[in-house]
Amino acid sequence: MARSLPPDQAQVLQALRSDEEKRVSDLADHLHLDQAQVSAAVVTFEQEGWVEIRTEEIEEWSVDPDLPRLADFVAPRTAIARALVTNGGRGAIPQVSQWTGLDPKEVGQAIRPFTASGLGKKEGGDLVVDEGALAALVADDASGPPPSDPATRQTWLATNLATWVGPEEAVIRNLASTGPRSRTALREDGFDVGTASTLAPLALPKNGFQVKVRRARYARLTAEGARLQSEGVEARREVNQLTPELLANGEWRSVTFRPYDIDLATERRWLGKRHPLQQVIARTRQAFLEMGFEEVVSPHVESGFWNFDALFQPQDHPAREMQDTFYMKNPGSSPLPDPAMVGRVRSTHEDGGETGSVGWRYRWDASKAEQNVLRTHTTATTIRELAKNPRGPRKVFSIGRVYRRETIDYKHLPIFFQVDGIIIDEHASFSSLLGTLAAFYERMGFEKFYFRPGFFPYTEPSVEVFIWHEEKQDWFEMGGSGIFRPEVTQPLGCEHPVLAWGLGLDRLAMLLFDRADIRDLYLADLEWLRTEPRCR
Amino acid sequence: MPVIGIPVQELQRRVGEELGRDRLLEVLGDLGCDVEGFAHLRRFRCTRCGFVIELVGKEEIPPTCDRCNAPLRDDPKATSELAPLEVVRMELLAVRPDMFDPAGLARAIRGVLGEETGLVEYPVGSPVMTLQVDNAVRRPDSRRPHIVCAVIENVHFDDDSIKLLMKLQENLHWALGRNRKHASIGVYDLDSLQGETDLVYTAEDPDDYAFTPLGAEPGSPPVGLRQILAEHPKGRAYAHLLESFDRYPILRTRSGLVLSMPPIINSEETRVHLDSHRLVIDVTGTGSRIVQRTLAILVTSLLEHHPEAQLRTVTIQNATPSDDAARIGDGNGSAASVLTTPDLSLQTMTVDPAATARILGLPLDGPRVAALLEKMRHRVTTDGARLKVEIAPYRNDILHERDLMEDAAIAFGYRNIPRTLVPTLTVGKEIESTVIGEKLREVMIGLGFLEVMTLSLTSPEQSDRLLGLPDHPATPILDNPISGEQTQLRTSLLPGLLTTLARNRHNALPQEIFELSEVTLRDPGAETGAAEHLQLALAAIAPKIGFAECRALLESIAAELGWPLRLEHADLPFLIAGRAAWMLAEDERVGIFGVLHPEVLERLGLQNPVIAAELTVPIAGHVQSLRSYPS
Repeated sequence: MARSLPPDQAQVLQALRSDEEKRVSDLADHLHLDQAQVSAAVVTFEQEGWVEIRTEEIEEWSVDPDLPRLADFVAPRTAIARALVTNGGRGAIPQVSQWTGLDPKEVGQAIRPFTASGLGKKEGGDLVVDEGALAALVADDASGPPPSDPATRQTWLATNLATWVGPEEAVIRNLASTGPRSRTALREDGFDVGTASTLAPLALPKNGFQVKVRRARYARLTAEGARLQSEGVEARREVNQLTPELLANGEWRSVTFRPYDIDLATERRWLGKRHPLQQVIARTRQAFLEMGFEEVVSPHVESGFWNFDALFQPQDHPAREMQDTFYMKNPGSSPLPDPAMVGRVRSTHEDGGETGSVGWRYRWDASKAEQNVLRTHTTATTIRELAKNPRGPRKVFSIGRVYRRETIDYKHLPIFFQVDGIIIDEHASFSSLLGTLAAFYERMGFEKFYFRPGFFPYTEPSVEVFIWHEEKQDWFEMGGSGIFRPEVTQPLGCEHPVLAWGLGLDRLAMLLFDRADIRDLYLADLEWLRTEPRCR
Repeated sequence: MPVIGIPVQELQRRVGEELGRDRLLEVLGDLGCDVEGFAHLRRFRCTRCGFVIELVGKEEIPPTCDRCNAPLRDDPKATSELAPLEVVRMELLAVRPDMFDPAGLARAIRGVLGEETGLVEYPVGSPVMTLQVDNAVRRPDSRRPHIVCAVIENVHFDDDSIKLLMKLQENLHWALGRNRKHASIGVYDLDSLQGETDLVYTAEDPDDYAFTPLGAEPGSPPVGLRQILAEHPKGRAYAHLLESFDRYPILRTRSGLVLSMPPIINSEETRVHLDSHRLVIDVTGTGSRIVQRTLAILVTSLLEHHPEAQLRTVTIQNATPSDDAARIGDGNGSAASVLTTPDLSLQTMTVDPAATARILGLPLDGPRVAALLEKMRHRVTTDGARLKVEIAPYRNDILHERDLMEDAAIAFGYRNIPRTLVPTLTVGKEIESTVIGEKLREVMIGLGFLEVMTLSLTSPEQSDRLLGLPDHPATPILDNPISGEQTQLRTSLLPGLLTTLARNRHNALPQEIFELSEVTLRDPGAETGAAEHLQLALAAIAPKIGFAECRALLESIAAELGWPLRLEHADLPFLIAGRAAWMLAEDERVGIFGVLHPEVLERLGLQNPVIAAELTVPIAGHVQSLRSYPS
């Protein structure tokens, strides 16, 4: 089957021989192709093993075609010799200048080739011809031997010298008519290239005679190439792009697609991705949904009542101070909910009310409960849900932003995400609380947990949750948990144990994505979001 | 949370069992202590006052003595070095002030280890002093109405035990006293009172009263009260507590020798020395319960450290009525009473063992619960089906039967509690905004956009003014912002996205980002006066991007929401006029989009065109109009 090649390559391959080297430039002339095209083709063929390439260095001679009278060029040294012979064999430089029509500077420059080539010598201010040497020079071409009589001899010499052509003159005239030629070609044509190479540069103005070294490439088919050639090659058009037109007219069948350099860098295409913290949020939500939890939300601007009081957090608790909690200027306060419930919450704070507690023993202030804050935990969300529907069995969770009055640094932000959950169930117990927390963190990819007694105003028993990070070989605290105190649940009308937890998600995200600086999550570098290996 | 160092050797000696270090850390953790680890303290004694300075790691000796203000750092004779001390460092467990010192901590550890269980009672001797409370301390212009007192005899101090007393005092000030505001402690050498046993707690005119504060050179003249607040280091540190007072609290003998100006500073004359053997202790404060509790914890701890000492009482005349009485009455008018302090009476409570077993999810019967509570150092007796529990006066955290259930759980050991799940089957369900939010997130990621999250607190400069808009009238404003950059909740998402582009100028283009989140707007109809609205914003920056690209994106998003693309020309300063549009759905303006105005680009330092859009997300199919921008 005939091999298909782009048209230019096909032409070149056909023109090559296995028994004869072809010079690349000759091929280009012959095939009417660009020399670069032919070069590329033979280089491709060499890579395929179809041709062998030999490279030769060539000395290429040329004359400046803009110089006048090159066709019958006479070198200054010849002109000087002729003038001297005609004028008695000797003359001072100004005279010679006058006789030859060369300016004195040109005469001066010609003295060295004149003397070095043995045409004469310089004696004082005069140039003197060497008649003997001239006679010997012209003897080969002369009509007869030089006469012995000095007068006749001078005429003889002048006559013969007038038609004599020096080797550099011959070369220069030839180059002027043919254009640049290689030294080899000139030698093969009988030119005295040795002498010409010395005298030609001196005979012409600067850069009038030039020698350049060029590489000539010769290609010859290998056996493989010859076989290919004998099987025949088919010329195909080469294209960069597959186009609708090529498909429509079917031309794609007769074209070749120019091969790509597969290592050439291309511009990276960036993916749309979910934010790492959103990944953690989504996984968290999924885990609680799978465990049968119902999702709820509540406002970010929250009353002190729901954020603190309903959770039995005394009104002078340090967490309620302006130091730690953002208070709202506008909207600055909220009306309190159902007065009966608020009354129960108040008396529970003051003396335990109906709950059997001794209470916090202080005078509860409704105006502090009305003050609006930015919620400091999503427990405000779950406690609202508990108040709305205190009858179990229920499982409820909420994921959302919470706010703490922190200065921004690598460890702290005034905003972070929490997941809070509650289980209202008559069968709920501290044992099932620990089991639920473990089940959640197992779903998040952790295996070892440590539960330490914790102390929160609204849960009892309380527990702090630690997870073991295998890579970092350390325990990390994830949040607080416990069973709501009767002082919390009873005033809201709930008689069942209520398991509750509030766990930080930013910290979990930092662990899962191995970030040391929490700001990376919210003041993100897009490069990180695009390339984070754990987000692949 | 302050960190304390408990001397390891002393703790181990008191626990009485050769407790390995790993086991010690484990037991402390099981009690709820947040342990940092072991450390060696370098110790120096102030030559002048005997105060022991403890230094952690590379810490240097402070320039002056914390107690007597003597210059320390430049004078080698001002301090003498003591043997270093190994401590276990842990965060102060605020709810258990009875575990702040080695003796109290050892008492708890011996209990959970079963070495020694049940209640420790401390004998209380007869009264040795009286204290007269003057009505002045109950007046509104100088309210610090409560004081309790105790005397401890036959104490023998050494460097370690005197230091422990000071540290305990400091920690109680922090944990119970809320930095001396609610309760502050004074300890004095009884023998410095020259035989006087009648004390007076009153309030004095600061311009007309003086004494020699602690740390003054011996024999130096008395200093006026105002000057003490202005110049003494402790005065300066706590002056704010007397800010609103016209008269300052003073504790003195009947004949006028000043013991202290609570809650600021003691007098130099009554200072406790290494060779003091009889101590007077007072606690003053704003509530009767807290001063009683603070005193009980301090004296029981002292008795643990000084087993040879005897506790004696003080009779408080004209005492301010208890909080309970004050709460029920009007506070000032109710009858004052006579108190004998310290009051180390036991708190009594009953516990239902069956309810304990249910709450903990453990198969515990009465005797088992009783044994666990005894490990937590309570006295337990049977009271029918219930258990009667007597609780030591040093426990400040038992409000309810449930607290005792937690004690039982701690004694059982959280690590020993089996992990179960509630048996009830419930069905999981996400809220509507999650469902639509997740769908839109998928749409945006499908369009090749990268999700970012930005801070939901902002400032006018970083939000509306960045876009050349007037401040949004419905912006929720913080009352106590912590920095000028976070003074309000955000009412729109675009400014955060644009700032994100500005922060990512160095990263490769094109950049296409989105955020899906709530914004918050004031709303008189909302319960708390503000409500969240779920919104989607997108922004893209590239050398060649314009209105057509943005319109195409919005068309895709609208289609996914099931809306035909309906537009209206928009005229907002942050978008190029004629290249901005409102998106309509059900005749509401639900979105805005267009090509960002070069003025905004210049403000952000962006050098490529940006397209941007923000729209509200319909919840449960209900279209919400976009209120983030003036329309």
